Amino acid sequence: MIKKFILRFAFFLHTSKRYKRFKAIVENFLLNPDYKYKKYFDIFMISLIVLSVAILIYEVEHTMPPWVDFVDIYIVTFVFTIEYVARVWVHNSWSKEVVKAHGEAKFLKKKFSLWEASRGVFKSKFFYLLTPAALIDLLAILPAYRPLRVLRIFVLFRVFKLLRYTKSINQFVEVLATKKFELFTLLFLILFIVFTSGIAIYVFEEKSNPDINSLFDGLYWALITISTVGYGDISPITMEGRIVSMLVIISGIAMISFVTSVIVSSFSEKLDELKENRLVEEINKTGKFMIFCGYGQMTRVFLRNYSKELGSNYIIIDKKRDKVEEAFKEGYQAIHEDASRHDVISKFNIEYSDITLFALTGSDVSNVYIILNAKSLSKNIKVITRASDESIANKCKLAGADHVVRPNIIANKMLLTAITQPVMYQAIYAILTGRHLAQLDEVMLVEHQKLVSLKLEEVNFKHYKLLFIGIQRGLKGDFVFNPDKRRVLNEKDILLLMGREASINHFKNSFQGVDYGT
Amino acid sequence: MAHKKRAFMFGYSKSSSFVAKQLSYENLHLTLVLSSDEAYEKALADGYIDIKQIDITDDEALKELEVKEEDFLVCVLEDKHYNVFLTLSLHSLFPKTVIIALSDSLYTTQKLKMAGANRIIDLYQVSANRLHNIIHKPVTTKLVDRLLSPYEEFSFKEIDIPEGSPIDGTMVNDFNFEEYKVIMVGMIDRRLTNKFLFVTSGVENRFDSGDTIVCIGYNEDLKRFEDFVCNL
Repeated sequence: MIKKFILRFAFFLHTSKRYKRFKAIVENFLLNPDYKYKKYFDIFMISLIVLSVAILIYEVEHTMPPWVDFVDIYIVTFVFTIEYVARVWVHNSWSKEVVKAHGEAKFLKKKFSLWEASRGVFKSKFFYLLTPAALIDLLAILPAYRPLRVLRIFVLFRVFKLLRYTKSINQFVEVLATKKFELFTLLFLILFIVFTSGIAIYVFEEKSNPDINSLFDGLYWALITISTVGYGDISPITMEGRIVSMLVIISGIAMISFVTSVIVSSFSEKLDELKENRLVEEINKTGKFMIFCGYGQMTRVFLRNYSKELGSNYIIIDKKRDKVEEAFKEGYQAIHEDASRHDVISKFNIEYSDITLFALTGSDVSNVYIILNAKSLSKNIKVITRASDESIANKCKLAGADHVVRPNIIANKMLLTAITQPVMYQAIYAILTGRHLAQLDEVMLVEHQKLVSLKLEEVNFKHYKLLFIGIQRGLKGDFVFNPDKRRVLNEKDILLLMGREASINHFKNSFQGVDYGT
Repeated sequence: MAHKKRAFMFGYSKSSSFVAKQLSYENLHLTLVLSSDEAYEKALADGYIDIKQIDITDDEALKELEVKEEDFLVCVLEDKHYNVFLTLSLHSLFPKTVIIALSDSLYTTQKLKMAGANRIIDLYQVSANRLHNIIHKPVTTKLVDRLLSPYEEFSFKEIDIPEGSPIDGTMVNDFNFEEYKVIMVGMIDRRLTNKFLFVTSGVENRFDSGDTIVCIGYNEDLKRFEDFVCNL
């Protein structure tokens, strides 16, 4: 009976949209670095940590008003407890595992064991509780227990919680973790020297030096000396002791230089990666951006013309280090990666962002691979590429490219126009570059509702010094050149207009008002 | 009878052969000027008759081409150094003839400009513009593609207004283009300037003989309008 009830409860949780939505929100706040509101949650938690540490320090010499204690005990601790429980909750999904196991049991016609299904989930949650991060979270709650004053010192564990909320500290730890082997080797070496020299000084000076009374004094002296701190509260007085001291000082200097070089080298190795990760995070936050794969001539010319318009909503990916450095020098955002790799494009917030990817490397083969890579991750990524000839263009389209640009064809068409129709060439050149006094612009009627239901003849384009060229029904509809003026404008119609930028803007603004230009 | 305009195309590669092929369909005389045996053989095999094989670095050989002011000089050599050098030579020999050159980088474009090319088609510049238009102006991109395609039912048309044309002396604003179902994009109003002026520029233009107007429309409407303008 209870088993049935629990199973039903698991199914209820698994199918409840509200529950899932709520859990997803909590998960985003706690774990998703790309979630746009997470930073506010992080700031809130950091403020609580700083507040509680400030209270601890202030309390040393002052008597706290009762309300401060109330805030510290009930509010701060309450938030930390909720956070602790929430982290355990979102760590994995009990209902999902139970439903899955139940489905499998039914399919295989075997007996369903609720305990078996739940055991793995609880085991995983238990192991999570033993992780350093979870232990710090738990210890950060303890200071609220007032009868034991000693627990107040656990407030310091709240400082460790900062590791969760500040990226720089996290990254520092991550960088050090990459040199784990070197740092552990050094630590053992230091411990070895401290122990041997500590024992030696104890043996040589225990009887003659009044400051050394135990082995602990010897070890303490060795550590203070090897670290080059040298308080001077214990100093050797015998010849043997001084020789040991000299050896410890020399090895201490060597150790410190070694540790410094290990840390510096690990940082210099990781610095670019850290910077690049930060750049990707920033780009992901924009929600709509462009990825340029390859920093060749075309990318360079494109950015030279349009980087101001793009703002910071773009990123260049190139696998050649010198190209990335070149892009940096020219003031563009670039990372040194291979865009044909699955994990590189996965770094971007593919699910929630509007991404346009340009496969513009010099190699057709690489471009095709990049297209396939992007499209295999998400069909929603818009991919535009270049191709050197028709057969490559066909391959790119088969791979899923939304648009294929063939530089030679475009240039040849322009060249031909420049020879055969030189005046028209000037017109097309101006239209294509959007320069001079004419621009071709598109006005979609969704945004300008006031135009909807009007007949074309009711809109006085001349009044706005605009030339009406044609109309297209939606983004995928057919373009109708110079349509009948009795045609009624509908929602999602796209008007193609030519005119100065100011005229086009005036037209757009007017139709947010009531002026039809009649 | 007026002489046919001539175009001299320097260079014949896989890419520029498209231009040569299209030019051969136009109402102008195409001469291919080549220096390498390989290009010469290929052009010959592709059916071109007027091919001259000369050393393009030799000014005397270039002079023998007898280029006239109204001709076009098209520099599409694959080697950009030679292309710039040739442009400079042609400009010094025939300063009033229009030189059109193909460039593959911003730096080459600058050099070609300094060497005297009148129109430079920068491969990457036009491609970058196209990339931008694909994203921001998809309808425009489609339209321009169709306008540039020789197989489309509507296109751009340049019409020179002859003397005695029915529109000679008419103000642009007074003329009803609706009647001919064409759209006038702009014109060269030689009374004011030799530059192209868009109809939306706000300048009051007048049609005079010798002016050139550019219109868009369905091919048959454009033909009907041209016949009207040229009083045919």
